[in-house]
Amino acid sequence: MQGLFPTPVVPAIPLADAAPVIDSLAILVLCIAGMLGTILLLPSHYHPSWRKIGGAVLMGVGLVFLALVLRHAAIVHQTDIHTAYFWIFAAISLFGAIRVVTHRRPVYSALYFVLTVFSTAGLFVLLNADFMAAALVIVYAGAILITYVFVIMLAVQSTGDSGTASQQMVDYDNRSRDPFIASAIGFAMMGVLLLVIFDRPGQLIRPVQARAAGAFEESDGSPVPPQVEGNTQELGVYLYGHQPISLELAGLLLTIAMVGAIVIARRRVISTTQAPIVTAETVVFPATPVDDNPHSIPVYGTDNPAQKAYPET
Amino acid sequence: MGSELALQHYLAVGAVMFAIGMIGFMTRRNLIVMFLCTELMFQGVAINLIAFSWFHNNLAGQAFVIYVLVIAAAEASLALGMIVLLFRQKSTLDADAWRELRG
Repeated sequence: MQGLFPTPVVPAIPLADAAPVIDSLAILVLCIAGMLGTILLLPSHYHPSWRKIGGAVLMGVGLVFLALVLRHAAIVHQTDIHTAYFWIFAAISLFGAIRVVTHRRPVYSALYFVLTVFSTAGLFVLLNADFMAAALVIVYAGAILITYVFVIMLAVQSTGDSGTASQQMVDYDNRSRDPFIASAIGFAMMGVLLLVIFDRPGQLIRPVQARAAGAFEESDGSPVPPQVEGNTQELGVYLYGHQPISLELAGLLLTIAMVGAIVIARRRVISTTQAPIVTAETVVFPATPVDDNPHSIPVYGTDNPAQKAYPET
Repeated sequence: MGSELALQHYLAVGAVMFAIGMIGFMTRRNLIVMFLCTELMFQGVAINLIAFSWFHNNLAGQAFVIYVLVIAAAEASLALGMIVLLFRQKSTLDADAWRELRG
């Protein structure tokens, strides 16, 4: 085997027994999916949305194929696959970041931000932070961005359907505010940061020792007990063992923020026909607007969920 | 570049993402996109923290990112609630509509 291939000896996988470049089942599935995508994409009488679905399927097949070939190339040629994945994820996340900032429509900004979050999660996986990658996807892409999209839906405003696409947008989406000065400041800061980061000529900083999962050291140098396996468990051991107060404070802060957000965003409907009767059951002066939906959150002073804050008009 | 990844690579990605977020925050006038850019700045900081945690073999960086996520979620909910309130007042998402608050 070593005479056939001029590359250095592969330590783990003897190449004679290695899996083929791409698994045969994967080839079959990719070909079938590609065929369906091409059928949908070719010019036909189909509805345009079918063609877009076909285009998307075809692009997905191409990307999966590229990823499999890349992985095989890394295994064979002893290239560090982490480097290739790093460049891919970094490029995607920076492209997504630029499109977040420069796209005209806020919905597309939110969608490009989802793309940025996913590629940042990929970078986290490369940095052995599996739990943080999953938490990032769940919290950011799953909760915060959904909230943003809902607020965009509630607060949309356009000037109608006439005119070109740019005329339909409102003015504050079409023009940016001081682009020259802001970009100059931003790129000046970016330049200074990059200069400081790459300050050591010809010497790149690498981690002191290669670590496997479960080999994190504590701050005084003693190793973490070895019965943890994987990043999630050792992060849990670390959080609950070393930072319980911060954890409790984080939960408290989330509760406070949730209560605050509910309180400040309710809507009040003021009845103008008669003054509200002030009794012990009703609210004297709701400091924040309340919803007139009978199924809304009850105000303080009453434990009847159907009780409103003002009498029926 | 070497075949192995160094700390500077990840720090550079974090710095560039932070700077892009800062440019967007200063430039855009839509309130929602402005807060989206602050979330982008959080992403850059999170990349930096996780990279340092990887470099020092210390889990404190990842715990810090958990707290950054907590703060980002709380801030996003409150900011969006206030944006909804502001939109109800003036029916616009323009940040310059509140210009009279300036001294």
